[in-house]
Amino acid sequence: MDLYLIPLAFSLLAALAPANLVRYVGLTGALASLVSVGVHGAYYMSGWSVVLFEPGQVTTFGLTFKMGYDGISLLMVALVNVVTTLILLSNLNRETASLKGFNALVMLMQFGLIGVFTAMDGIMFYVFWELTLIPIFLIAYWYGAPERKPALLKFFIYTFVGSLAMLLSLIALGNYADNYSYESLVTVELSAKSAFWIMAGFFLAFAIKIPLVPFHTWQPDTYTLSPMAGTMLLSALMLKMALYGMIRWMVPLAPEAMQDFTPIIVILGIIGVVYAALIAIKQSDIKRLFAFASISHVGLIAAGIMLFDKEVLGASLIQIINHSLVAVGLFLAAGILEDRLATRELNQMGGVAKLAPRFGFWFAVIGFASVSVPFSSGFIGEFLLLKGLYGYCWIIGLIAGTTLVFGAVYTFRAYQLSMFGAPSLESFKDLQWNEVLSFLIISVLIVLIGVYPQAILDFVGPSLDKLIQSTQADITILP
Amino acid sequence: MDALIVVFATGLISMFIALAKKPALVLGTAVVGLLAAITLLALQVNHPYNLVKYDGLEFDGVSIYYSIMSLVFGLLIILGGYSYFSRESEHTGEYISLILFSLVGSMCMIGFTDLFMFFLGLEILSIPVYVLAGSNKKDLLSTEASVKYFFTGSFATGILLFGVAWLYGATGSFAITDIANAIGEGRASGSMLGVGILMIMASFLFKVGGAPFHFWSPDVYGGSPNIVTGYMAAVVKLSGLFAFMKLFTFVFGEASQIWVSALYVLAIVTMFVGNLSAIRQVKFKRILAYSSVANAGYALLVILPSSKDLFSHLKALEFLWFYMLGYGLSIITLIVISMTVKNESDDLEGFRGAGRKNPWIGFFFTLGLLSIAGIPPLAGFFGKYMVFSHAYKMYPELVIIAVINSGIGIYYYLKIFMTFMASDHSEETEKPSPNFLQYLVLAICAIGLIAGPFVLM
Repeated sequence: MDLYLIPLAFSLLAALAPANLVRYVGLTGALASLVSVGVHGAYYMSGWSVVLFEPGQVTTFGLTFKMGYDGISLLMVALVNVVTTLILLSNLNRETASLKGFNALVMLMQFGLIGVFTAMDGIMFYVFWELTLIPIFLIAYWYGAPERKPALLKFFIYTFVGSLAMLLSLIALGNYADNYSYESLVTVELSAKSAFWIMAGFFLAFAIKIPLVPFHTWQPDTYTLSPMAGTMLLSALMLKMALYGMIRWMVPLAPEAMQDFTPIIVILGIIGVVYAALIAIKQSDIKRLFAFASISHVGLIAAGIMLFDKEVLGASLIQIINHSLVAVGLFLAAGILEDRLATRELNQMGGVAKLAPRFGFWFAVIGFASVSVPFSSGFIGEFLLLKGLYGYCWIIGLIAGTTLVFGAVYTFRAYQLSMFGAPSLESFKDLQWNEVLSFLIISVLIVLIGVYPQAILDFVGPSLDKLIQSTQADITILP
Repeated sequence: MDALIVVFATGLISMFIALAKKPALVLGTAVVGLLAAITLLALQVNHPYNLVKYDGLEFDGVSIYYSIMSLVFGLLIILGGYSYFSRESEHTGEYISLILFSLVGSMCMIGFTDLFMFFLGLEILSIPVYVLAGSNKKDLLSTEASVKYFFTGSFATGILLFGVAWLYGATGSFAITDIANAIGEGRASGSMLGVGILMIMASFLFKVGGAPFHFWSPDVYGGSPNIVTGYMAAVVKLSGLFAFMKLFTFVFGEASQIWVSALYVLAIVTMFVGNLSAIRQVKFKRILAYSSVANAGYALLVILPSSKDLFSHLKALEFLWFYMLGYGLSIITLIVISMTVKNESDDLEGFRGAGRKNPWIGFFFTLGLLSIAGIPPLAGFFGKYMVFSHAYKMYPELVIIAVINSGIGIYYYLKIFMTFMASDHSEETEKPSPNFLQYLVLAICAIGLIAGPFVLM
């Protein structure tokens, strides 16, 4: 229970705390929550399924309120806590951090995200899934750029409609099961036709949230116009809900429809990889550039997940973590540039590296992590994903491989245009301690995972085995 | 002593106690009386076999639950609307006693076992509301609302009586058990029964604001004083839908082939009309009116019979209860908040930034609006969800349509939300300043919206 209560309590506390302390209340909350996850992690033995909450009684319409975690969930919960801490830390010197609403909403968001990753009941998953939408919407709406309104309306309606499709799938699935607990939903056997539509509902919700290519039109505007912390939350955490949802819910609940959907999602993911990367290369707005870069990276992860093979799933999880960390770093860099130069246009930047050498160094480090150089976590993740896709179909693997080239092009183009060349300003305030610390933590984590990815693979391995087994058992029963 | 009598006596006492010209005294009487009635009902819940019976009225477990909800909503409306009722101290007693009398009608409509009592209940419920709708005498729109509601309402009542007469002709009884038996044994059938049932259905659709009998609702909701709008949306709709369900699933259930296809189509029409019309509205209460039309459409989904067995019907009653709980609490929250903002024209723009000027109001408003839009984890979501999952067993395509409608609905709810919570261009909006009672009502609603489903489920 401490996993939920700490963020919730600090959310309330931040709403009521005196104005000059608010920013530390938020950060303390995130750290406290991080410690509690650390304790959970220390006691966790690989392969366990831990039940956090189960009242034992089932409501008339089958809601069980069950919450719990296995290795995958715990890894994601840890990611949420690390990233929330990083977000609050990197915002510490900004004006938004001193606002009560901001801190309370970030903590509420954290609560919702932890709920999403530990829900063991279909309806609870939906409840927490939607719960995260409100805080992020308010963060973007209250603290975002001036011209944000139409983009946010689009964002909210888009994602809400996607979620409704998922609700419909859950209702349909619940119709066949005794109740909505994960176990009984997983064991339901479906005919090919109903499995197809049920998976289609989940797919729509997740494809919008990730976003996969034809559903991505809300994403660049929303990322660009949200405040820095909002963009970080969206890209580093919110879209991970959808990727996790694919692993935990979409495929295991309707594995019968997998052979229909695997080609679709793989192809959409690969189209996203190339298409978004090409657009990113031509962007002149730095946040927009990173937004398209994000589409490109997550397309690869989504494609990999659909192969549903232990090695590729492990790689997907590593890449999920890597992308979260890199996204926080990149959007922090973009936020720093936007904040101090008062523009997002790459053409109007330049020469920052000379004025602010520390920033130049750390931005470069994150940039290298983003293009997956060896010994960064991205390298091992992308390598295994590409290997899996190559095994699935060599053409797809080949096309997906271009992500490495394109990634280097747009990342270093952004770096070059903003950092080198003639300075556009007299002076540029170099990084402050909290920003340096954020970059440092991100880099250390990326390198640690890059050097020893086996730690994560071992941590989630048994849970992945169980997950894959449950889907295969389901398929073989039906002719 | 029984709850129904307590409520009625409270109405009488508060009418006469108003002669003292002390509004607070009237309020005190009403609150004490209603709390006493709610307590009496709550005590009866624990004795499900200890039925409270009169000729034509019977309060069993389900009716008691619905009566409690109706009285609680009435109490919240009286508390939240006190600032309006006490504006003219000489009329306070009348307004509050009218609401209490109307609640008596609501209880009759919930506990009826006889169509005659049902008709009486409907009239006792409606006539005070006709008066209350016009209680803002100097406002032309309010007068229009009252007249319009009265005329169309009387017309609907006429149709209802007509239908009841046909039904009597077909079955030879007013008592609902006799009618149900007659239909079940096949003694009553043919066109007489069909005409009767369809006439009754039309008048019900009128009362709950279902298309194509919804045309009164935007004008009446928009013109009435805010708190009366809240009462209409919460209590009148609750009683109407419960009676609708009781009569149609339990009494006319055996003859469902007559009315199911009609209601099926009308549920679809109601949802689309409500949601699509709401999109282009610019006045707050008119949006709520159309949203209430749409919500009636969702509620019609549980009235459509899902299967023949009684257990499923009882479940449907429970789901409708939760649905109305979420809807009623949300609408009371929204209405009470709209009373605290000075905005005579009722334009949506007049509320710009109100939720930011007073963060508490912003918080309550967020809860109310998200709940009515069906966003978890609030009561409105669970109600909607139960209704949908119940209807899915029999009418999956209808649930798909309902879900699409929820998607349309989110557009105008979000528009209200973004206007209300905007942080810019809101210099003209005054800071909302609720009084203590309104804060109390909002807090009770908030607790109900957040914790209600989890505690009661």
